[in-house]
Formats: sequence, structure tokens, C-alpha cells
Amino acid sequence: MDFNAAELIPVLPEIFILVLASTVLLVDLYLRDDQRGLNHGITLVGLLIGIGLILALGGGERQIVLSGSFVRDPMSDTLNAIILLVAFLAFAYSKDYLRDRNMLVGEYYVLGLFAVLGMMIMVSANTFLVAYLGLELLALSLYPMVAFDRDSKAGAEAAMKYFVLGALGSGMLLYGISMVYGGTGALDFPTVAASVADQGLDNKVLVFGLAFVVIGVAFKFGAVPFHMWVPDTYQGAPTSVVLFLSSAPKIAAFALAIRLMVDGLGGLHADWQGMLIILAVLSMGLGNLVAIAQTNLKRMLAYSTISHVGFIFLGLIAGTAQGYAAAMFYAIVYALMAAGAFGVLLLLSRKGFEAENLDDLKGLNERDSWYAAMMALLMFSMAGVPPTVGFMAKLLVLEAVVRVDLVWLAVVAVAFSIIGAFYYLRVIKLMYFDKPTTLEPITVGAGARVALSVNGLAMLVLGLFPAGLLGICQAAFA
Amino acid sequence: MSIGWIILLPLCGALAAPLVAGRTRAASAWAAAAATATALAVALSHAPAVFAGETVQLLYPWIPAIGLDLALRLDGLAFVFVLLVLAIGLLVILYASYYLPAEDPKGRFFALLLLFQTAMLGIVMADNLLMLLVFWELTSLTSFLLVGYDPSKQAARRGARIALVITGAGGLALLAGLLLLGHVVGSYRLSDVLAAGDLVRGHDLYVPILVLILLGVFTKSAQFPFHFWLPGAMAAPTPVSAYLHSATMVKAGVFLLARFHPTLAGTEVWFYLVGGVGLTTLLFGAYTALFKHDLKGLLAYSTISHLGLITFLFGLGTPLGAVAGLFHIINHAIFKGSLFMAAGIIDHETGTRDMRRINGLWKYMPYTATLAMVAASAMAGVPLLNGFLSKEMFFDQTLDLDLLGGVAWLLPAAATLAGTFAVAYSLRFIHDVFFNGEPVDLPRTPHEPPRWMRIPVEILVALCLLVGILPQQTVGPFLEIGASGMLGSPPSFDLAIWHGFNAPLVMSLIALGAGVLVYSSRHWLFATHDRLLPRTSGEAAFERIAALLLHVSHRIMAWIDNRSLQRYAVWLVLVVLVLTAAPLVRHGLTLDGGLAGEPVDGVSLVAALLVAAAAVATVVAARRQRLLALIMTSIVGLVVSLTFIHFSAPDLALTQLSVEVVTTILLLLVLYLLPLGEIRPTPRWRQIRDLVLASAAGLGTAALAYAMMTRGYEPISRYFLEFAKPHGGGTNVVNVILVDFRGFDTWGEITVLGIAATGIYAMLRGLRLKAPTRGIGGRPWSADAHPLILAMISRPLLPLALLVSVYILLRGHNSPGGGFIAGLVAGTALILQQLASGQQWTGERMRLGYFTLIGVGLAVATGTGLAALIFERPFLTSAYTYLSLPLVGKVEVASAMAFDLGVFLVVVGTVMLILENLGRLTSGRTQTAPVSPGEER
Repeated sequence: MDFNAAELIPVLPEIFILVLASTVLLVDLYLRDDQRGLNHGITLVGLLIGIGLILALGGGERQIVLSGSFVRDPMSDTLNAIILLVAFLAFAYSKDYLRDRNMLVGEYYVLGLFAVLGMMIMVSANTFLVAYLGLELLALSLYPMVAFDRDSKAGAEAAMKYFVLGALGSGMLLYGISMVYGGTGALDFPTVAASVADQGLDNKVLVFGLAFVVIGVAFKFGAVPFHMWVPDTYQGAPTSVVLFLSSAPKIAAFALAIRLMVDGLGGLHADWQGMLIILAVLSMGLGNLVAIAQTNLKRMLAYSTISHVGFIFLGLIAGTAQGYAAAMFYAIVYALMAAGAFGVLLLLSRKGFEAENLDDLKGLNERDSWYAAMMALLMFSMAGVPPTVGFMAKLLVLEAVVRVDLVWLAVVAVAFSIIGAFYYLRVIKLMYFDKPTTLEPITVGAGARVALSVNGLAMLVLGLFPAGLLGICQAAFA
Repeated sequence: MSIGWIILLPLCGALAAPLVAGRTRAASAWAAAAATATALAVALSHAPAVFAGETVQLLYPWIPAIGLDLALRLDGLAFVFVLLVLAIGLLVILYASYYLPAEDPKGRFFALLLLFQTAMLGIVMADNLLMLLVFWELTSLTSFLLVGYDPSKQAARRGARIALVITGAGGLALLAGLLLLGHVVGSYRLSDVLAAGDLVRGHDLYVPILVLILLGVFTKSAQFPFHFWLPGAMAAPTPVSAYLHSATMVKAGVFLLARFHPTLAGTEVWFYLVGGVGLTTLLFGAYTALFKHDLKGLLAYSTISHLGLITFLFGLGTPLGAVAGLFHIINHAIFKGSLFMAAGIIDHETGTRDMRRINGLWKYMPYTATLAMVAASAMAGVPLLNGFLSKEMFFDQTLDLDLLGGVAWLLPAAATLAGTFAVAYSLRFIHDVFFNGEPVDLPRTPHEPPRWMRIPVEILVALCLLVGILPQQTVGPFLEIGASGMLGSPPSFDLAIWHGFNAPLVMSLIALGAGVLVYSSRHWLFATHDRLLPRTSGEAAFERIAALLLHVSHRIMAWIDNRSLQRYAVWLVLVVLVLTAAPLVRHGLTLDGGLAGEPVDGVSLVAALLVAAAAVATVVAARRQRLLALIMTSIVGLVVSLTFIHFSAPDLALTQLSVEVVTTILLLLVLYLLPLGEIRPTPRWRQIRDLVLASAAGLGTAALAYAMMTRGYEPISRYFLEFAKPHGGGTNVVNVILVDFRGFDTWGEITVLGIAATGIYAMLRGLRLKAPTRGIGGRPWSADAHPLILAMISRPLLPLALLVSVYILLRGHNSPGGGFIAGLVAGTALILQQLASGQQWTGERMRLGYFTLIGVGLAVATGTGLAALIFERPFLTSAYTYLSLPLVGKVEVASAMAFDLGVFLVVVGTVMLILENLGRLTSGRTQTAPVSPGEER
């Protein structure tokens, strides 16, 4: 096939991030220890330029380039831009934390940027293999990030578990992909989709392939019962890494699910719907129930993640354009919520002190009422209390589920979110009603403060005016 | 002005109140009052339209995608509630500005109060189910913040939390109910929902919808068994109690009953659920109120009881019942609001709310006492006061009910009983507080409150009287429009205060008389109550449920998430088995795809059995002897490479073999370092479990492989077989694929190999581990690390091995072999020298730097690729030609050969670099002065 340089234009944002990561890698070689902040600056500016590139090149018809392995469509525009945005937030929050722990080194940014690149590739993949490559690039960047604090035993254990389980998950996915290939003779989504539509369940090997693909996707989402890596990783990894790990990759996982299960295996919706229902119910149930017992805030948020994944699945289960849009809305909103919540933890941590227990939030209102208010907004949003955007997100997925007559599922989801509200509200209670254990004021850089304020207020603003974001999400599935 | 302003003005007030708080003492109160008053004026400006029977509407699209519009409606019912919320709000603001301590920054309080007001107005005016829900949850939220207004009080924190959990959870249930309702109706517009009563009542989902919505209603309106949050919420400042917990928020629940009356009411389920819960709450609240010594506690339970009464009236499902319910909502808001304010004044002036201590206040505050007594009489249902009228209607309603059949007398009896207790606790409120001897040990000497603090009470009490005496002229028109807003067409009802000497009047008289009797025997009753009734409460049940949840949560954690990787793996494999077996069972799949397999020959069978046995042996041995396990894995590898040969894949076999050797050495080096601690014995059941799971997973994988391979497929080898020679110039297809078809991949791979080696080198640099001195079973390692015999044998082997590797490299393009295998062979030969003779010995003789090897290899491979560009061909295009050499004859020279040489060099360098550095980790034992080959030059 002849190579046409014009085909590279839609890929420019990805190429740019690759160049950015390499630039940081090289620049870092020539920096003295007191100049490491430059990495931070380059990364942030680069991410902004990346967003600009996506906005400039995006829009318009769906484009498939690079021998059919890469796609640019409204969904990839939106998700890529938001991934970059969330990554931007994650880096912006982390600077002080990293500096206090001697982790403000080039590798952190390089790994982070490669992870971002992996996510972007997942979002823009048009074949099973490219999606898998993106996924692995993401995962392989995240494993060392989890163990980034080399002297931390918990970090090493977390990374080890993450790696072993993650490798298992990737293996399953690959196994499934190989069976899909065996069943359809193709790896690119359009051909697979056509072949699936053609033969459907007549080719029964596809069903096995589907099962393994679903398992792989569930793994990357951290849905019960493939969630085990989530709590341990969240608890063991440095908070800044957890912030990174818990936010943008969820969006990428959503993209992966859409690409693989809708774009590729959409014809088997009836089959994967049942599996996802089980996973969703288990995730919402176990996530919410177990979160109650946690005293470690990071671990609690890990279980909360698991339960939110259940809600994202609800939208996918519906199997309608509206449902996918709702799930996309939910995934984006969740990434923002997670970024904010862990952002607060980052700000509360000081040199030699990790804020990670629920008790560390005690009396936050007395120490800094603005942060307390932002955290309260984030918690209310996670609990799904109006008028925050978390409520809108829940409402949208529930609505989608009800519309396809899965009423019982909606009722179950609501029941579990009632249980879920319990532990989010406990955080509010701790912040507002309890006496602080320390009266030390919170000192953070202006950047992080602005980031958190924007992040927190976004919960309210998006909740009051969700039509814009929802419109974008719907356009992706129009 | 648009009706939108009715909601927006309080919201603006909420924003303004804290902003102006610093100006003067009462600035935020003024701001709040102004906003409320203006909103009230806006509402009143629409009165003519509403009284004319119109429904004023407002519609802005908000999220059209899910049918969520900013839709407001001001019909009769909404109008009545809007007036109630705003008018009482105004009085509460006036009252609160005197009630709160002067030094208190009131900005936050009024902001929250107005925010609550906004939400409450939103509930009553919403014309969209989802919007109603949003406002509904907002009231829970603001109520939470208002109850916990003073976080230093433990009771306030606890009360706020419980209230939020109960009402918030109810709100979510309501969300589910409303979603279903909207789904059934096909629209979230209230107007559509109200018109679809028959559709909803006949729908299969009617009962779930009803139950879910009622959960919201009952939690919000403190109905049994969710009532317990309300007494707890009494820890709030009294203005909040007066506003939220008597007049407005708790009425939101019963408002929903009124709102959805046309859609949901009138079925038997409705009657039994709503009526039953209402009646239970009515009796329970009235009874419990009598025994509360806390002034606000008594009022709280009385509120619960009255809410039960209202619920019961709606539960009847009759139009007249609904009208009576609406009437009692209004009356209750008026007299209970004033009573709470009076209680607040008493609390404010005496410093306590314990009725066993505040006695005889008549002497100190006769004016307040009079007001409170009138309001309490209204609560008891004394004639000529408003409470009497709605209570008569209630009694009347209980009489003509045919649903209960033979036990129809139960209802009036229960109603009279509840009335009796109402009289008794009202009497207690009056007599205990204002008479009954002298006050006991009060923190402050009571006196009349400031004039402006009394005014709201005066106004409300005046309303009690006005409505009680002139109902038709005062409340009549409002009830009329309220009822028509609620039901469409209101039934005819009679608001006269004298209906003649009829049954309800008799019931009232009995209740009055019995109430006095009950009160006079209170001392005996209190003692019996304390003795007989166990001290259970909803609050305790709530705590128990919370504890139970926690317990369940811990159990699940111990069961699934116990942080053990092994446990995780068990779950994982189990679930994968179930998930993949499910389609097998569901679709009745057969594994056999129909394609006939090759006949099983003896050699293959033996090989398969050998592999299986070695695999099992590995697992068994790994528990005790790692070395043995390693040997077993080697057997697996060996048999696999033999299998490759058997199926005519010598290339693969060679690769497998050489990789096998290198990895075995690698594993040996690592195993040597692993600590030899005791391995905890695994319980038998776990062994069996693991065995079953592993076997199932293995068999499953085999079955899947069988299923895949017995189905038709198109092999991709044909293309390569066909074009290997004409395009790649080689007959060894595997090698041609590596260096030509997929040359770019190989090029990338060797780069990665080089990077990996560098990475490992960097990580291991400077790392020194203590070598174990004793091996398995405590036996010491041999002091002779490099046995002479091994060293002597290995040395002549080296040139032979290197020769073999060159041979393999050269023949690679056309016969089995190639750079990769050759590199592994050479690397193995070199490593052997190190193992046999020690690193120092080898290091002195090995003059080649591994980094140089890798670098040169990469350069050669890249150079070959780039050379193609000179001839204007794409990167890595291979070319070949034939040279005639003397003696040797015609020799094929392909550019791929040079590329392969690069691969060879990189592989040698990588293998050596990794293995040598791993070996050096413990060099302390084997040699004294480690020399790093990478640092030699």
C-alpha cells in the first residue's frame, strides 16, 4: 500500500504526544536536580498544545487512516481531548507532592506521557491489535508508576499485584482477540463487525472469543470480579499515581469497551449484555458494600471506583446510542470526580506525611473551608446528589436502562447507590463536624489551588448545565 | 413577573445574605426577608389567574435529551403551598433574627434557610418529575446543613447525619419510582403524568412505582417506621424546626401524596399502604408524644402523629379525604409553627426545654403563655380553633368507609384514641409548662421575650382563631383552588363550624374527656410506660442496620478481598471458567468443529504424556525443591522442541532449544539467590481446590484449542511460502519473514533487546546481594566454585560452539538457522566459560565490550536498512545477488545476511550483558574483584 503523508494529519495529536514524551526524556538528561521543574512545565504546556491540536484537527467526518488501523471520529476527538485535560489536571495537582518526596524526576513525566499516548491509541484504534497495543502501552507505563516510590514496600507489592493480575487480564484479552480472529479472519473492527453481522451466532467460536474480550475489558475497568487489583494498587501506590491511574484510564477503558464490543462485536450485543449485567450488579454491590468498611480513604475510593464502573456498564448494557452516550458522560464525569478527590488528598499530604486515612480529613472545614467545600462538592457528586453532575450522570444511565425495559436493574442500581451515599456522607461529616487532629494550615502552590477549584466547581456547573457535555457525548454516537 | 422569579428571588436572597452579613446586625435578615417578601408579592400577583382556575406555566428546555425541562407550574395546589412556604418563611426569618445569638454571623444561616426555601418552592412548583426530584434532594441537603448548623453539639451532628441518610435514601428510592413512572407514562411532564392515572394504575409496574414513591414520601414525612430522624433533627435551632420540621419540609412528602393523587390513588394497595402507615404513625406518634419530657420532643412526636393523620386522609383515596388532608396540612403548619416558636421562646428565656423543670411560667410570661395555650388547644382540636375543623373532617371520614367490612368500627375507635392522646399531650404542654407549681432550678429567670420575637407567634395564633371561627371566609377559597389543583374538579365540602350534634362531634367530645382523664393519670402512666415498654427506637434500629452493613462489608472483604494474590487468582480463574462455560451451556455448543484431525501417532502421544507429566511434576516439585522443578520445566521445553521437529519445524525447534538453555541459566542464577525459608504447609483443602481449578482451567483451554482447530480456517502461510524466494531471496521462510517480510519488526525488536539489556544493567549496577552459604537441607555450597574438570571440558568447547553459531548464521537464509539462533548459541557458549572458569578468568580474556557488540549490531542492521534507501527503495528492502568466489564457487549474497549479522551481534551482547550482570550480583563469594565488562573501556 502506498504511503500518503496526508494520512498522518489525523494522527498528529498522538505523534505530538510521542514527541513530547521523547522531548522530556531528552531534556531531563541535561537538567540539574534543582531544574527538574522544567519537566513539569514542558509537560503541561505540551498537553495544552495537544488539546489545541485535537480541537484544530478534529471535527467533521469519520476518517480512517494508516491502512485502516486508526480512526478519528467525534468520539475520539472528545475522549482524547478529555484524556489530555484530565492528565493535565493530574500533573498539575502532583507537583508539590512529587517534589516533597524526591519523585519530581523526568521519568515520572515520561511514563505519564507514554501512558497518555497509550490511552489515545486505545481511543483511536480501529483494529483489535492497535487497541491492544494502546492498552499495553498504558499498562506498562502504569506498572512502574505504581512502584515509583522505590523504597516503599507497599508500592512494590501493589505494583507486583497489579502487574501479575494485569498481565493475566491482558492475556485473556489477547486470547479472546485471537479467537475473534479465528472466527472472522479479520482484526479490524469494520470487517469483524460485518462478519459478525453475517454469521452471528452460527460461528460459535465467536462466543468464546467474546467472553474473553469481555473479561479483558472488565479487567481493565476493574469490574467485580476482576477488581482485585484496584484496592491494593490504590492503597499501595503513591497518591499522585493513584490520581493519574484512577481518572483518565477509566475514559480509555470506556473507549476500549466501545471500540471492541460495539464497533467490533456490536452484533453480539445480546450475548455480552448478559455478562455485563452480572458484572455491573456485582460491581455496584460489592463496591458499595465493601467501601463502607474502609478506614483508608484511598482504599475506600478504590471501592467507590468499582461501584462507579458498575454504573458505567449500565449505559453500555442498554445498547442504545443514548445508553452509550450516557456511559460516556458518566466515564468523563467520573474521571473528573476521581481527579478532584485524589487531588484533595494530594494537597493534604505534606513532606513526611501521607494523607490517606479518613481521619486525615477530620475538621478540614476548620483548616481550610474552601478545600472542604470543594471536597464536599466532589463527594456529593460521587454520591449522586443533585444538583451536582454526579446526579445527572446517574440519572442518564438509569434512564437509558429503564428505556430498554431493564427496570429491575435500575432499581437495583438505585438501591446500591443508597448504600453508597452512606460512606460519601461520612466524609462530609468528618470534614464538617469533627475536630481536626492538626490545625496546620494547608499550603499549596497556586496551580494546584486553581486546579482544585476548577475541578470542584465543575461538579456544580456541569450539574446545572449538563446539556453541553451531554450534547458532545451524543454527537459521538449520532 | 414570571413565576420563575418565585424561585429565583429566594435564591438571589441566599446569595445576598452572606454578602451583606457584615454591614449591620440585621442586614442578612433584612436581605432574606426582602427576597421572601418580593417572592410572595410575585406569587400573589398571579393569584387572580390561579383563582380563575388557570395553571400558570413556564418552560425552558434544559436537557431535552432526557426530557428534563425547567418546567414550572403554578396551579391551585402549588399556589397554596407557595403561600404557605413563603408566608411562614417570612415569619420564621423575623423570628430567627431575634432568636439567634446577636454575635452569631447570621449570613450562613439565612443563606441556608433561603436555599432551603428555594428548594421547597421548587418541589411544589415543579412541572417535571425529574426536576421535582432534584429539588427534593436539595431540601434534604439544606436540611442537613441547617440541622447541623451548630457542629459543636454532638446531638446536632448525629441528628443531621441520620436525617440526611434517611431522607436522602428515600429520595433515591423516589428517583427510581419517578423514573419508572416517567417510563410508564412516556413523559416526565407532570401534566402528562397527572392525565395518565388509569394507565399507571393498570400497569404491571404500578406496585413497584407506588412502593418506591411511597418510600420517598414516608421518609420525608417521618412516617413510621422512618419517623425517628425527626426527633433527632430537633437538635436544630428552633426557627429551623419551626420552618422545616413542622411547616414545610416534612410536608413535602404529603405534598407528593396530594400531587400524585390523581395518578396513583384510589386502589386497594394505595389504601392499605398509605392508610395503614398513616394510621400507625398517627397512633404511635400521639402515644409517644405524651411521654416526652423534652418540649421539642413532644412537639416532634406530635408532628409525626399529625403527619400520620394527613397521610391517612390521603390514604383513603377519596376526594373528600384528600381535601381534608390538604386542610389539615394548612392548619397544622399554622398551629405547629406557632408552637415551635413558643417553645423556642421558652427555651430562649429559661435555658432549658425539660418539662420536668419548667413549670409555672404563667407568672413570668403570661402573654406568651396565652398564645401558646391557644395554639396548643388548636393542636388538641378544641372547637372554635382551626385544628378542630380538620379533625372533625377526619373523624367524619373514618366513619363512612366500607373497605374494611366487619371491622369498620376499628377506624373511628383508633381515630378517637389518637384524638385522646392528642388532647392529653396538648394538656401536658399547657399545664406542665405554664402551671404545675414553681419552676425547678432554671438556668435563667424567665421573662417575656422581645416584642418582635412574639409577633410571628401572634400572627399565627390569630390565624388559628380566624380560620377556626370564619373558615369559609378565610381558608375556604384557598382550599377550593387547592383541591381543584389537586383533583381537577373539587368535591363539594362544607366548612361550617357547626354541623349539628353528629358522630364526629361525639368522638371529639369523647376524645376531649378521655384526654383529660389520661393526663390526670399521667404519673401512673409514665411509670407503667417506663416499666413495661422496652426501650427500642428507630434510631437504635438504624444504628443496628448500619452496624450490620459494616459487618457484611467486613465479611465480604475477608472472603474476597483479603489482599492475597493467591486468593485473587482463585476468584479470577473461577469466574473465567464460569463465564466461558456459560455460552457452552446456554447455546449448547459442541466443541467438535467437524474438521478431521491428523491420526494420533505413538510419538506424539508419548510426547504429550511426557509434557503433561513434567508439567504436573513441576507444580508438585515447586513446593519442595526448586531445582527439581526447574529440571521438570526444562523437560517440558525439550519435549516441545522435539515436537517441533516432529512436525517438521526445525527452525522453531532450534530457537526453542537455545532459548530454553538461556532461560534455564537465567533461572538458575535467580533461584540461587532466593531465600530458602520454610514454606508454610498448605492445607489439604486448598491443595485440592487449587488442583481442581488448575485442571479445569487447563482442560478448558485445551478444549477451546480443540474447538478452534477443528474448525475451518484459512492459513496465512501460503503467501509466505509462495513469495519467500522471489521477493526475499531465501528458501527458509521463517528466516525470510524475520529479516525481510517483517524486517521492520525485527529491527524494532533488536532495538528493544538492546534497551532492555541496558535497563537491566543500569538497575543492577552497584547492587550486591549476599550469597547464600547453604543450599537445600542446610548443606553448605561447595567451596570449589569452578571445578577443574568442567573448566577443562568447557574450554575446547568454545571454538566449536562459536563455529557452529557462525555456521547457523550463514546458512540461515536458506536452511534452518539465522542470526537469532546463532546469537543464542554463541551467548550460551560464552556464558558456559563464565560458569566454568569464573568471571575474573573470563573477564580477563573477553576483550569485547557487550555494549559495543549491541551498538555495532544495531548499526549494521540499521545500515543495511538504510542502504536500501540509496537505491531509492523503501527502508529495509532486501536485495541479493550471486558471487563467484574462487574455490567456493557460486555463493548467494543477500543484504538480509548483513541484517542477520546485526541481529546476531545484538543477541549475543544482550544475553551476555544480562546473564553476566545477574551472575555478578553475588560475586562476593565467587571472586574478589569484580570487573564490569561494560566499564572496562
